[in-house]
Parts: sequence; C-alpha cells; structure tokens
Amino acid sequence: MNKFSIACAALLGATGLLAGPSFAQQEVKQEAKSTSGQAKVSPVTQAQLNAADKSTTNFLLTNGNYAQTRFYPAKQIDRDNVKNLHVAWIFQTDVKESLETSPIVVDGVMYVTTSFSHVYALDAKTGVQLWHYNHKMGLVTTYCCGPNNRGVQVLGDLVYLATLDAKLVALNAKTGDVVWKTDIADPELGYSETMAPTVIKDKVLIGTNGGEYGIRGFVKAYDAKTGKLIWTFNTIPENSVGVWATKDATGRDMHRNIQAEKDQLAKTGDPYQKLGGGVWQNPAIDLATNRIYFVVGNPSPDLDGSVRPGDNLYTNSLVSLDLDTGKYVCHLQYIAHDVWDLDAVSPTVLVDVKGKDGKTIPGVLHAGKTGHIYVHDRKDCSLIRFSEAMVPQENMWVLPTKEGARMLPGANGGVEWSPIATDPGQGLAYAINLHQPMTYQVENSPYPNGKLWLGGAFKAIPGEAQAGNITAVDYNTGKIKWQVKTPEPMIGGILATAGGLVFTGEGNGKFAAYNSSNGKELWNFRAGAGVNAPPSSYMVGGKQYIVVGAGGNTQVDFHRGNNIIAFSLN
Amino acid sequence: MRGKFSFGVCGIAALAALSIACITPLRAQSAQSIEQKTQVCAACHGADGKPADKTIPVIWGQQAGYLYIQLRDFKRGDRKSDIMQPIASSMERDEMQAIAEYLAQKPWPDLGQPRASKDVADRASNANRSIGCTGCHLDQFQGDGTIPRLAGQSREYLTKTIADFRSRARGNNPGMTDLMLATAPDDLAALEEYLSGL
Ligand code: HEC
Ligand code: HEC
Repeated sequence: MNKFSIACAALLGATGLLAGPSFAQQEVKQEAKSTSGQAKVSPVTQAQLNAADKSTTNFLLTNGNYAQTRFYPAKQIDRDNVKNLHVAWIFQTDVKESLETSPIVVDGVMYVTTSFSHVYALDAKTGVQLWHYNHKMGLVTTYCCGPNNRGVQVLGDLVYLATLDAKLVALNAKTGDVVWKTDIADPELGYSETMAPTVIKDKVLIGTNGGEYGIRGFVKAYDAKTGKLIWTFNTIPENSVGVWATKDATGRDMHRNIQAEKDQLAKTGDPYQKLGGGVWQNPAIDLATNRIYFVVGNPSPDLDGSVRPGDNLYTNSLVSLDLDTGKYVCHLQYIAHDVWDLDAVSPTVLVDVKGKDGKTIPGVLHAGKTGHIYVHDRKDCSLIRFSEAMVPQENMWVLPTKEGARMLPGANGGVEWSPIATDPGQGLAYAINLHQPMTYQVENSPYPNGKLWLGGAFKAIPGEAQAGNITAVDYNTGKIKWQVKTPEPMIGGILATAGGLVFTGEGNGKFAAYNSSNGKELWNFRAGAGVNAPPSSYMVGGKQYIVVGAGGNTQVDFHRGNNIIAFSLN
Repeated sequence: MRGKFSFGVCGIAALAALSIACITPLRAQSAQSIEQKTQVCAACHGADGKPADKTIPVIWGQQAGYLYIQLRDFKRGDRKSDIMQPIASSMERDEMQAIAEYLAQKPWPDLGQPRASKDVADRASNANRSIGCTGCHLDQFQGDGTIPRLAGQSREYLTKTIADFRSRARGNNPGMTDLMLATAPDDLAALEEYLSGL
C-alpha cells in the first residue's frame, strides 16, 4: 500500500465506517460438468433426422421433425388404454425455475435442458442421470420473459445448445464435454438465446431474442463441425419501410397515422438498426425445396410506434429463406407497424393444405398471438386463410394511450411461443391459448443503449378473469373443430400422437390426454408444479413413453418446480 | 444537488469528496487488490454490507451483472449521480467487472426491516400480478444477471429510485420507467414496503 492509500484508510477509518481487512473467500468452483455414466448413443445421421417424422423410437427434433408437425407416429398408447398411463420415473433437475424444454431422445438417451442453460443426459428408460452440463454464465445476460431454455438438438456425436448469454455450444453427446463454443451476439446490447438450435446438413440454425432491447434481429447459420459462421440473415432489412399497410393480414384497420410516420421518416430516416425483430422459435424446413420458414417477432420499442416509422419489415412476419445461402425468398407480414406486441412467435408447421381453389398444395401454418391460425401457400408465403379467433378479440386495433387502452387479446396472445401440434390425417391443428385482458399504455423514450425499451407497458387488468383453451382447428376450412376451456391461461406446448391423442399441460400442474377428434379428456395427472413445456414421446425396450417437464413458468408466473416426468403403460 | 436530497445526504457528499480523493491514487496502483479497491465503497455502502444511510443501496450480494451495468452506466453518464459518477468514471471495464463479481459474492445483509402486513403484501402481489415484476425480477425477487435483486433492499432507497425512474431522473432504463409510470403510486408504496421486508 502506498502512503496515499494509508492516509485514506486512516481518514476513512476515523469515521468509523471502514471495513476491517476482508479477504475473498477461496471460491470453490462447481465443476462445469459432472459425469456419472456415459451416454451410449451412436452418431445421429442426417438421414435419420430427415426421416424423424417416421421414427417411433426416437424424438430427434424440438418439434418432432423438420416440418414441425408435433405428430408422433407411435400408437401403443391409444384412446382405450391411455387411462392406464402411470409415472415411469421422475428426474429432478438442480434448477427450480421456469421449464420450457422439449426432451430429445436418441437411442434410449434423453437430453433435457433447464433455465440458465443447463443440459442433462438421462437414461430414457430409468431417468438415471448420465451427465450434466452446467454452463458457466457470462457476467452479463439481458433477457426477457425468464431465464428459459427450450432444448437441444443432436447431429453426429454433438449436442447443440444456445445459451442465455448468447453463445452457441457443441457438447460431446456421450460425455457432455464442450467440443466448441462461439459467441452469437453481444448480451450487453440485449441479445440472448432461449431457443433450441435446428441442425441440418452440417448447419446449425439459430435466431435470437432481444426485441425488448432495440436489437437488430437475425437468423444465423453456423458450420456444425467447427462453429464457423456461414451466413446471417438480418430480419430487419436496410429498407424496413414497406408499403404503408393500413390493414392487418385479416383486413382490420390498424389506425396508423401514415402522414405522421412519413414526417418522422423524413426527419430521422429508416429505423432498421434498432428495430428489434427477434426470432424466438425454430424454423420449419422443407427438405424438397431446401427452404426454411420461420416467424419474426415484434419491433422495438414494443408499444411506441412514433420512433419507428414504416411497416417495420420483417417484424411480425412469416419469412422464407434458401437454406444454403440464407437469401430471402418470400414473406408475409401479419401486422405492419405493430404497437401491441401481438407478434409472431409460435413455430411454423409445414403440412399439405387446401389452397384457395380447393386443391391440395404444400402449406405453412402459424398460430399468431392474435388468436388466429394463419394458413399460407408455401410457394410464395401468401395467405390462404386464417382461422376463426380462438380467443375473445375486443377493441382491435385500438391504439395504446397514456392512460392505457383495453384491448383483447392481451400482449401474451392468443398463442405465445408455445408450439402447436397437428394431425395431418385429420387436417387438424391443436393450439393452446391465453385469455388475459390487458390495457396497452404508451410512453416515449430514446434508444437506451441495449436496455429494456418497451415504449410503454401492458398491464393485466385486476379483477378481470383470465383463462385458457385447448383448440383444435380444421386448417382446410379455418373452422374450430373443438375447444376445451381451462381455468388458467395456457403456455407450454402440445403433442399429437397416432394413438388418436393430444397431450398438454396447465399452469396449475394438470397434465392430461384428450381424444384428438373431439377433445374429450381421457386421462390426467397432477404434477404439483406448472406443466408449461411441450411434451415428447419415444420408445425404449418396446414400450412407448410420454415425457414432459413440470417446472412452472416465469412469464405467466406459474408454480415453479424441477421435474422431468416420464409416463408409460404397465 | 437535487432538492429532494435530505439532510443526511450532506454527510454522504462529504464522504464522496473524500472517497474520490482516495480513489484516484488507488487506481494508479495496478497491483491493487479488489479488497483494497472496494474498501472505499464501504464508507457509504457499509463495512458489513449495511449502508451508512438508508437512501444508499445494498450492493453486497447484489447480482454481478447488474452491479457492473450500473457502474458502466454511471461512468457513461446514462445514470446520473453526483456521488457515483465520479467514483465510476476512473474505472475500466475489467475493473468494474471484477468489483461486481467480488461484491456479488458477499452475503446480502439483513437490514432488519419489518415484514409487510398482510394487507400491504396482498396489495403488492396484486400489483405484481398486473405488471409481472417477477417475470423479470424472478421468483422471490432475487434477480439474475443484469436484473437486480429487490428482496430486502433498503426501503428508503427503493422509494427514492422508483421516484427517480418515474421522474426520469434515473434515465438508464426507460423500460423500468414505463413500468413504474404504469403502476399506481399507492401500489408502488405497497411494493416498496413489501420488498424491503422480504
Ligand atoms: C460517498 C458515498 C458512496 C461511495 C463512497 C460509494 N457509493 Fe455507490 N452509491 C452511493 C449512492 C448514494 C448511491 C445511489 C445513487 C442514486 O441512486 O442516485 C450509490 C449507488 C451505487 C450502485 C447502484 C446500486 C443499485 O442498486 O442500483 C452501485 C453498483 C454502487 N453504488 C457501487 C459502488 C462501488 C463499487 C463503490 C466503491 C468503488 C461505491 N459505490 C462507492 C454512494 C456511494
Ligand atoms: C421487463 C422486465 C422488468 C419488469 C417487468 C420489472 N422490472 Fe424492475 N428492473 C428491470 C431491470 C432490467 C432493471 C435494471 C435497471 C437498470 O438497468 O438500471 C430493473 C430495476 C428495478 C429497480 C431498481 C433496483 C435498484 O437496485 O436500483 C426496482 C426498484 C425495480 N426494478 C422494481 C420493479 C417493480 C416493483 C416491478 C413491478 C411493478 C418491476 N421492477 C418490473 C426489469 C424489469
């Protein structure tokens, strides 16, 4: 210590406020990885992934297959015997926080993730832990809506994970050791990752969160072997102005003040650099045409449109790209210049649909926060039809005000990030819905250097009841086939199976099976914590299992837990 | 200095002058340990983590990412404070991060603030349900990363900083300003009392 600081210490000491010498505790770092066994998996081939929709043993992709149908082809568990479903095992993770993982199963080994980007490899038959990867989180994480992670994907002998501190990590599938790691974006600017990567043909595809922080969104493709960046598609093009659309995709007037926006544009120019446009969920991939389809989230700031003139392309849109190059193919914007955060998050699904002229063509489905299921032509992204509203819509599109304007749906939708399921044989799409009456309030502030930038607030209205639904929609007509009411808003996901069933969970801990043709409840289980994650299914030793995470949810504040629960018949 | 500063803060200002005088030469020493660098903080933020004045925030056991971002914001001038800006202005990024990590590992002090009554707690949890504070501040208001812990923070500091968010005197997070403006003053008062007693 030099003289100066001694003097200071003495001075401060005299005031009686100085700390005695304090020594840093020798920190005992928890091992980043603990292995209790090896995961005996053979490398996953691209051919296996391409045929994932036909596999009755594995569950290889977050939404079941590249088309993201969430239709599982095994039918050992069916409408007659589902009442006998019981717990096969429960695995307790080390993290009691929001659980949104989609379990992936390869050769009897299950990979699940938890909040804060942990990964576990489990024996899918017994629930015994094989290894645990505990990601050493960077100092700065900036995320919206919970420290969630929605899962991994496996290709070859690598497990791919995207982390809350915006890193892409490849782990050894057998041991959980890090093979490579790369920075996706800077968390200090508001970027974070919660989605599972999609891996295809030696490319790892990943979007980003950050639409609440004034990021510029993207989808990136990395080399699966090395982690080297191959291409970047900015979800916000340099010309984000568009066509000054006054109506949304369903034809309703959005009450834009186009002249005021044009004046603003003349003054401040194109706002593309801080315009948001996160991509929260996985792209669907058309293997025949080599195209990917995904949806882009809200513009930044969420509720204040005054600082971002124009349509804010490609926010709130379906977008298609060429897989090899990342080049734009087509888009359709659901809501231009959104000021309600009623954006596009739930993952797209590729199924054949009836076109406008009644002929069957390749289609794309997306369940919007607006509460509609949108049906598109895969060729040019154009909208064929949209479903009846699955939730009450009121006062759309009233503009947010200083005092707060009431509008339904609330800002979580409709349908949140929750993936839908489909049963292409029945032509049905199954979505889980939220009904949360809210007011939309606007405030104005300049870009805050990567800080929370909402441009106002959405508030649940105290005293107004919230609820949810499970809704089956006929995507060839847009009509609702059946609907089950739930006491709370629903967030998580749903799975359909060839056994004629759909499985989904609620925030109150209920996990249930329904007849997929009429919505009749056939079995249920009480998990204790919110079941707010998408279920998966698989087979080991000739037995079909259903597995789901029960860990509650941060965003809708459902009771937290740390369970992965697998069910099977006797 | 802003009019809302109370009498007690004059003492802090004097301490600030003192600390700044000390901190500059301290910086000159590259081999300075973190303990030494943070000794100066103790004058105000407390030698045992309990702040010397109720309007000064607890920083022991606070989330490291949050502490770093605040120091960064003080330095950039994004967060205004006559006291903290000069202290942070001489720090480099690495140093701020090291200090943040160090302070985050310290135990959160018990300020002995009373638990809120049931009425107040109910009002606070209704306000929380409406805005969804725990959607970001997490279960039990423990925070994570760049989101601060609020549980057990000094009530007077919470009152001050929430008022500063509302008036934009604290302008380093317009998102929090919007949310505070969208919450009724009575609800905020209940939240302050409730959070401090956690
Ligand atoms: C002279 C008194 C004083 C000293 C010395 C001091 N602080 Fe502060 N600090 C304050 C006050 C007062 C505030 C509240 C500022 C405001 O909100 O206007 C504050 C706020 C902070 C905050 C923001 C906390 C929060 O919850 O938002 C951090 C971080 C911080 N100080 C870190 C430090 C560190 C690190 C040191 C030592 C290097 C230090 N301070 C030294 C008085 C002091
Ligand atoms: C959308 C996320 C989000 C929500 C919702 C939210 N906060 Fe915050 N809050 C933050 C972030 C991020 C910060 C850090 C601000 C900064 O960067 O300086 C913060 C800071 C604060 C602080 C300052 C703490 C300190 O030590 O200075 C208080 C107090 C606070 N929030 C209270 C609340 C309350 C009460 C609610 C609900 C009525 C709420 N917040 C809702 C994200 C949120």
